[in-house]
Amino acid sequence: MDNTILELKDFNVTYVNKYKKVYAVKDAGFKINKGDSLGLVGESGSGKSTLAMALLRLLPEKTTEISGVANFLGKDLTQMSQAELKKIRWKELSVVFQKSMNSLSPVHKIGTQVEDIYWVHNPKATKKEILDRFTYLLELVNLSSRVYNLYPHELSGGMLQRVSIALSLINNPKLLILDEATTALDVVTQGQILDEIVKMEREMDMTRIMITHDMSVVATSCNKVAVMYAGELMELGYVKEVLKDPLHPYTKGLLASFPSLKGENSKLEGISGFLPDLSKKYEGCIFAPRCKQAMDICKKKPKLIQLGNERAIRCHLYGGEK
Amino acid sequence: MKRYVAKRILTGLLTILIVFSINFIIINLAPGDPIKTLMGKETDDPALRAALEQKYGLDKPLHIQFVSYLKTAISGDLGTSIIYNRPVSEMISEKMPATILLVLTSGILSLIIGTLMGIVAARKEGSFIDVIFSGFSYILNSMPSFWLGLMLIIIFSSVLNLLPTCGMTDPRTSYKGIAYVMDVLKHMILPVGTLILIEIPLYYRIAKSSVLQVTNEDFILTLRATGMNEKKIFNKYIFRNAILPTVTIFGISLAYLITGVALIETVFAWPGTGRLVLTAINQRDYPTLMGIYLVMSVSVAIVMMLVDILYAVLDPRIRY
Amino acid sequence: MIKTIVNDKQLLFGILGIIALLIIVAFAPNIAPENPYVFGPDVLNKIGENGHILGTNKMGQDIFSMIIYGTRTSLQVAVISALISGLLGILIGGIAGFFGGTADRIVSEIINIFMMLPTFFLILLIIALFGNSIYNVMIVIGLTTWPSNAKLMRAQALSLRERTFVKAATAMGETKGQILFKYIIPNGIFPVIANTTVGMSNAILTEAGLSFLGLGDPNIISWGQMIYDGKSFLTSAWWIATFAGVAIVITVTIFYLLGDGLNHVMNPKHSKGKGV
Repeated sequence: MDNTILELKDFNVTYVNKYKKVYAVKDAGFKINKGDSLGLVGESGSGKSTLAMALLRLLPEKTTEISGVANFLGKDLTQMSQAELKKIRWKELSVVFQKSMNSLSPVHKIGTQVEDIYWVHNPKATKKEILDRFTYLLELVNLSSRVYNLYPHELSGGMLQRVSIALSLINNPKLLILDEATTALDVVTQGQILDEIVKMEREMDMTRIMITHDMSVVATSCNKVAVMYAGELMELGYVKEVLKDPLHPYTKGLLASFPSLKGENSKLEGISGFLPDLSKKYEGCIFAPRCKQAMDICKKKPKLIQLGNERAIRCHLYGGEK
Repeated sequence: MKRYVAKRILTGLLTILIVFSINFIIINLAPGDPIKTLMGKETDDPALRAALEQKYGLDKPLHIQFVSYLKTAISGDLGTSIIYNRPVSEMISEKMPATILLVLTSGILSLIIGTLMGIVAARKEGSFIDVIFSGFSYILNSMPSFWLGLMLIIIFSSVLNLLPTCGMTDPRTSYKGIAYVMDVLKHMILPVGTLILIEIPLYYRIAKSSVLQVTNEDFILTLRATGMNEKKIFNKYIFRNAILPTVTIFGISLAYLITGVALIETVFAWPGTGRLVLTAINQRDYPTLMGIYLVMSVSVAIVMMLVDILYAVLDPRIRY
Repeated sequence: MIKTIVNDKQLLFGILGIIALLIIVAFAPNIAPENPYVFGPDVLNKIGENGHILGTNKMGQDIFSMIIYGTRTSLQVAVISALISGLLGILIGGIAGFFGGTADRIVSEIINIFMMLPTFFLILLIIALFGNSIYNVMIVIGLTTWPSNAKLMRAQALSLRERTFVKAATAMGETKGQILFKYIIPNGIFPVIANTTVGMSNAILTEAGLSFLGLGDPNIISWGQMIYDGKSFLTSAWWIATFAGVAIVITVTIFYLLGDGLNHVMNPKHSKGKGV
């Protein structure tokens, strides 16, 4: 049996408004198999969150254009009708967002929200069943079932993020997207939660995309990594290989500026210059203006070159067109 | 929660004390001596003067005067209107029901209409209907209420000859039962309509901005990602979160209405406290004027206190 | 600077409107066809009759000229009361937020209490007792509306006093008073200025309301006074009350536009569109 969970081909996301277009994600392509955990890394503004939101089909349709293919369990996410989407939402594809403090309604008890969310796909479930199911998930993230009857403001940021993670797993989804899910937390809590996530993954047979700007998160919790820059995938591969032997100049720079545990606003020290303006189309390699190894050929657009063992790179240094 | 309520009640009591103090200060600072203020300017009766001096201890030092002033006021004695020779408290309580009828009817209706408009505009942000509603609310917000009332009189009474413009009932008839209620309702349309129009912008703006704000919150995004249907997300989650500021505004708006209604009552000759204000001003009946100020400030303080406590019940985050 | 103004339509129209109002104030005698303080022979003329664009009232005063001169009254009330209210608010709020502690707790409580008092009625009471000259009206509006300004200034001072440049000034040995006037107030004043324009609108409406209850200054032409006079002629000479009200609506709208525009410009959060 094919164990592909998600496969992206030529995936593009463009924001459109009256005055301009912003090419937020360009020609993205990757494949995630069952049991994989993919770390999607990049600076803020690299398009990684946009990619996730587009996959979840949560971007406002009026102002975004999505093209390409995103096969999820054999069906193209970009072509699904609202009714089809509704069937897979949270049941097969769920998500945890960054801002733990705002991830739940402040004026409803956590239990109420859990029940409402569970009822979306299991309208006949009793409150007792839901409580039992959620208590089990809470145990996985080291929380007591006491939180069920509390309001969100009565919990700390770390506890809330754990609740969000437990909530995302309530329907045993095939794929879980964590969008900077640990970024707002302190280092110790972040470490604990990452451990819990890895543990849960083993227990629940889950596949995961981890969106982060922090290489250390990827290093400790993922088996594959995709490096994104200015809306394009620069390098893909198994974490072990990429971290040990980064090929793309951008990946090298990113790894050189490694200790960025404290928020993504600090400028990358390994790489000079700024992110390009994404409302323009670029002819050549998008990273060339900041690349120390840029050559003449970099004025032409590099293709994503497959290097074997699921390793791929978008750089003229490694062959491709002459 | 209990501590919050206790604290809030204490602030309310403090507010009432300050209202009394302001009144006391005004009496003492007003041009002429306090007795003149308490009697009203046009009269001077030595016997009355002596009686008032006795009652408020005006020959004693100020702080003792203040205490005796407080005592009489708290006991419900707001002084006597020299013009009508009646206790002020009696005159106010007689006129109060008509005012409360206006204030509550228009307060509740404008809350409902303004909030609904705000919700519609927020749901269809940028649409034609949003632009119309927003422009409408902007202009209404700049209108003096009494002028709007006059304009409605010109339109609905002078030109269209549809609605009665003054009083609460038709003096030429003496209806009973349903007919009486209908008559009062007919007389209420213009004053209540004016007040509603004036109050709509307040509710409209707060409802629109808080619905917009809540809709962009992360937890709404999460709920969308769960596949919950939009109706339920709105009815249960957005609405419940977005309605909270409206509760606070309701208190503020009632306070504003209680005082602003005097102008509207003047326009439509509505037999409430506002009319009493107008005659008191014209006749220089200061005890009545100050009595009304006291009663209104105290009612506002109480309403605001109740609204804040209601807010605390609705918003679980308030628990100190 | 110019670009931000042109980009924000509300601010643009607000500023253009204010300029227009100022021109009317400055050149009132040139714009108005007649001196409205002089009673003329044309009593209760209709619109356009005998060259009176907006008609006349029972004293034969030209309505259009009265409205032009009334602009002076309204702006005077707006500016002076807003100045008093703004200065008081800045001082009281600045001191409370900057010094903190007990002073702050007391002042905040007072602000909260004052915001719960029915201001319009208090003003009405004071004017009724102290006399209804236009100066009293301006001063009393100023003295009773400072709490909202103070609340804003206090919040500003609270956050500013934690900033490095204020701490540096303290370390340099500048006195508290110097810091308050040199750093806290100049850096925190902008939200108060935006709020003050809203205060100006309210002052115009308050003055009109007082005049309508018969508490206006009889020696001065004001729009509220005109509506008050026109009330008795509502059916026979509707133009007296109507146009004065239109003038109020336009002027108040201009101040609201200005206030909203200033808020957008100084608070980039509001003006930013969604997405991207």
